Amino acid sequence: MIAILDLNMGNLNSIYNAIYESGFDPEIVTKDDDLSEVSHLVFPGVGHFNAASKNIYDSTIDKTLKGYAASGRPLMGICLGMQLFMETGTEGGLSNGLGLIEGTVNKIESRKGVRVPHVGWNNADIIIEHPVLDGIKKDRDFYFTHSYAVSCSNKKDVVATTEYGEVFPCIIAKKNFIGFQFHPEKSQINGLKIIENFCRWDGAC
Amino acid sequence: MLKRCNKCGLPETYETIEFNNEGVCNICTQNVYKREKIDWDSREAMFGDIIEEYRGKYDYDCIVPFSGGKDSTYTLWKLVTHYKVKPLVVQFNHGFMRPTLNENNIKTFKKLGVDVVSFTPNWKIVKRLMLEALVRKGDFCWHCHTGIFSYPMHIAIKYNVPLIIWGEPSSEYTAYYDYKDDEIEQVDETRFNRFVNLGITAEDMYGMIKDDTDGLDVRDLNPYTYPKLRDLKKLGYRSICLGSYIPWNVKKQSELIQNELGWKGDQVEGMPWDVYPYEKIECSMQGVRDYIKYLKRGYGRVTQMTALDLRNGVMDKEVADRLIEEYEGKKPRSLELFLGYLGISEDEFNKVVAKTVVAPFKPDFDSNQWCEKTWDFDQWYKEDNTKIKENKGA
Repeated sequence: MIAILDLNMGNLNSIYNAIYESGFDPEIVTKDDDLSEVSHLVFPGVGHFNAASKNIYDSTIDKTLKGYAASGRPLMGICLGMQLFMETGTEGGLSNGLGLIEGTVNKIESRKGVRVPHVGWNNADIIIEHPVLDGIKKDRDFYFTHSYAVSCSNKKDVVATTEYGEVFPCIIAKKNFIGFQFHPEKSQINGLKIIENFCRWDGAC
Repeated sequence: MLKRCNKCGLPETYETIEFNNEGVCNICTQNVYKREKIDWDSREAMFGDIIEEYRGKYDYDCIVPFSGGKDSTYTLWKLVTHYKVKPLVVQFNHGFMRPTLNENNIKTFKKLGVDVVSFTPNWKIVKRLMLEALVRKGDFCWHCHTGIFSYPMHIAIKYNVPLIIWGEPSSEYTAYYDYKDDEIEQVDETRFNRFVNLGITAEDMYGMIKDDTDGLDVRDLNPYTYPKLRDLKKLGYRSICLGSYIPWNVKKQSELIQNELGWKGDQVEGMPWDVYPYEKIECSMQGVRDYIKYLKRGYGRVTQMTALDLRNGVMDKEVADRLIEEYEGKKPRSLELFLGYLGISEDEFNKVVAKTVVAPFKPDFDSNQWCEKTWDFDQWYKEDNTKIKENKGA
């Protein structure tokens, strides 16, 4: 079963529809659900790192998610979902992420010609090949909307980068987890390809 | 005077054309790329791998959309004899199949030993669609473009056969897709919407004709509707052209099917029959299509065919110019039949076409030179054109 985790952090319709159109039948799961039947888990999210962190650690979902991640089954984080893979985040004060990937999340620095939030289409410079990116050419555009970006401690976890005033990771991956700063579900043909690839991925790199 | 490619002679009114500094068009430059830069051996190996991936797993190994022209006949021959696949042949009957084509098809199916599904859509609807597409786009073939490319996809879903193999890639003729960037053309909804359907979806078409078409049912448009992406994805579909994996060679392939299958060419209105007996033999309205193209864009099928030969270096420019001068732009006998189907006069036809002319070409509607009748012209389906009769009566 392909599942989308609903932590009340934003609208799930786009990701639901994108998976459905790709020929799969996703189900929405919440923090109280058992994930033992889940083959692929999508962790979307829009909002505030600190609030999400609180939400996660106030429930037992942190343990459920860490347990799922340790099982080797594919896990996809989108936007805030991906940022929560990191050890810590600075939005709204320092708080803990899930610590699946080493690093933190910092605000994109606003400067001349660089307005924050970063909203719109921008390209992803793919550095490392990954099964979920099969068939995606280098320098294709994806849809972004965010003010914070991740910073990875280990270079090998950075699969692709984007430049917006600064260069930041836009796709990160480690073992059976992969995270996207952009929204594949809103990124037309290339985004849909990523989603379809993820749904067919066995979690191995 | 239209600007023309220095190499192949295609004019500036040709779809997707661009010229480089040497005055050579993009169709020619991508053809050089096709011949020199593509590793065809590895492409062919890729195709072999694709065939093996699907072999024996479904009711059929693949679907082959089939018109009976040289390209689909060659594709079917190659798949059955060389790759030994078990295909389901899908035929969409546009309504204008000719006697030689039907004989060819029978021979091909019997000799190769294949299962065939044939579909003929409602003629009354086809006539209405032809009129609407002619008026809106100056291209009456919408029902054929959309039906040919969407109907086999519906069959793929119904029969649970995910691999669909077409023949010639569009990059042979236009630059909607090219051979560069190692881009392999997928025959999918993106391509369908990019140029196949002339920018008119079946839903659009229904809206355009529903108010003045008696008894029209929304389901009448189903054969022209591209299937839902989800259904195709669920099937795990893959829709590709054989010509993306082996270098397409029309002349060689036509000879081969003549020898191997007894396939026969035919006379096509407005064409030099001795030079091009193998091209577009599948439709009795081809002459009208080519005539409209000439009125809109200032070139016809002779230019298109000689362009291919000039590009491939198998014809001299003088020969091409002579053929174009002698054959192009003449009025086909089939025009009268066509006007009969649509129930319009030639004057009305000219007025519609005049609105779709591609600048800077300026057509001459008063030139009344006729093409020679083809041998089977008198067997082609006719309908009374009351409008023409009324005009004559008056």
